[in-house]
Amino acid sequence: MKKRDFSTKKSLLILEKIKESLEKLNQKMEVMIELQKHGKTDTENFADITAPLDVMTLLSMPDHLRKTAITVCRLGRATAEEVAQQTKRARAVESAYLNQLVLMGYLKKERQGRKAYFYVDKENKE
Amino acid sequence: MGKIIAIHSYKGGTGKTLFSVNLATTFALKGKKACLLDMDFRAPSLHAIFKVNNVECWLNDYLNGTCTIQKALVDLSEISGGKGKLLVGLANPSTEAIRDMSAKDRKWEMRALGRLLSLRNSVLDEMGMDYLIFDTSPGLQYSSINAIVSADLVFVISTIDASDVQGTKRMLCELYDLFEKKTYIILNKVLMDISSKRGKEELSERLGNTHTLPIFEIVPCFCDILKAGGTYIVAKEKPQHFFSKMLCHMTEKINHL
Ligand SMILES: Nc1ncnc2c1ncn2[C@@H]1O[C@H](COP(=O)(O)OP(=O)(O)OP(=O)(O)O)[C@@H](O)[C@H]1O
Ligand SMILES: [Mg+2]
Repeated sequence: MKKRDFSTKKSLLILEKIKESLEKLNQKMEVMIELQKHGKTDTENFADITAPLDVMTLLSMPDHLRKTAITVCRLGRATAEEVAQQTKRARAVESAYLNQLVLMGYLKKERQGRKAYFYVDKENKE
Repeated sequence: MGKIIAIHSYKGGTGKTLFSVNLATTFALKGKKACLLDMDFRAPSLHAIFKVNNVECWLNDYLNGTCTIQKALVDLSEISGGKGKLLVGLANPSTEAIRDMSAKDRKWEMRALGRLLSLRNSVLDEMGMDYLIFDTSPGLQYSSINAIVSADLVFVISTIDASDVQGTKRMLCELYDLFEKKTYIILNKVLMDISSKRGKEELSERLGNTHTLPIFEIVPCFCDILKAGGTYIVAKEKPQHFFSKMLCHMTEKINHL
């Protein structure tokens, strides 16, 4: 009885791990599909989808993305480095979140020399 | 460096406008530079309280992007007898303007947020104001949440009504916390005598675990203020009133937040 309990627990754990990995893979695939659809290899000039970054949208976002998004709203235009200084999180982390927000259509990304700037697109493009 | 304060509530009629007006006036009377904005576009009231009817531009125009913030501010510094500065931005009370404001889309609200966020630079840094105060609409309104997101401090005015207390508690964790705002509760129109032990007990019984709530002030219901119904500004006309003294004390406390 005890032994069986142990083995079911173990297999549950393994299943959980597989599920996690699949979810991660799925997320990556979604990003790649989006990129493919738009014939781009980077999130640059990913201008086709735009979604307004209003407060109700901010409210419904996962906490980690909300923090990044609000910081960009406040700064107006910022690099991952500048956002990271405000949020006190790692630059690489902010960079990932910022690119995710670009993919979701909430932010725009623009390169200037070696730096990538993120900003909220306020132009009307309906 | 100035402070931006949003005054909000879950339910209507809790005293937001009374506190906004008297807080701004108290700051001005103390020689500070205060700017007060009527962000209640559904039911504007500052034009009536300050008795201003013709303005060059409304706050609506600023948010629509058709005028600068300077053009939308009325200088009412004379209220402080020349001691301080009081600038007020009024919401357009015409039915047409109210209808127009309620029909804005998400894109407009997003731009309005950008314009409110930029007030830190224009009103505090460039114009050198010490305080920017937003009087808002109750509940989860776009204009109110925009103001909250733009603020440094949020004061939530709540009565001790069960539904108001419950809604306020919910907003603490589902609104202000999500935006990581420093939030303080002002309990208003409290009828218990909190100077007595019995009254205090009665109050905490009503509120439930009070020690977990960030209560900034407990304000009684003043019959004369209720009777006056916003026809005069208490802090200005009755500086010896207990309410005016409470506000003086609150402005001191705000400086240390
Ligand atoms: N502590 C108090 N004692 C007596 N009267 C009060 C007190 N606080 C507020 N009032 C009165 O209650 C009424 C409603 O207050 P007020 O207009 O400030 O509320 P509000 O929250 O701004 O309302 P709304 O949600 O409609 O904007 C006013 O007549 C005001 O004078
Ligand atoms: Mg009001």
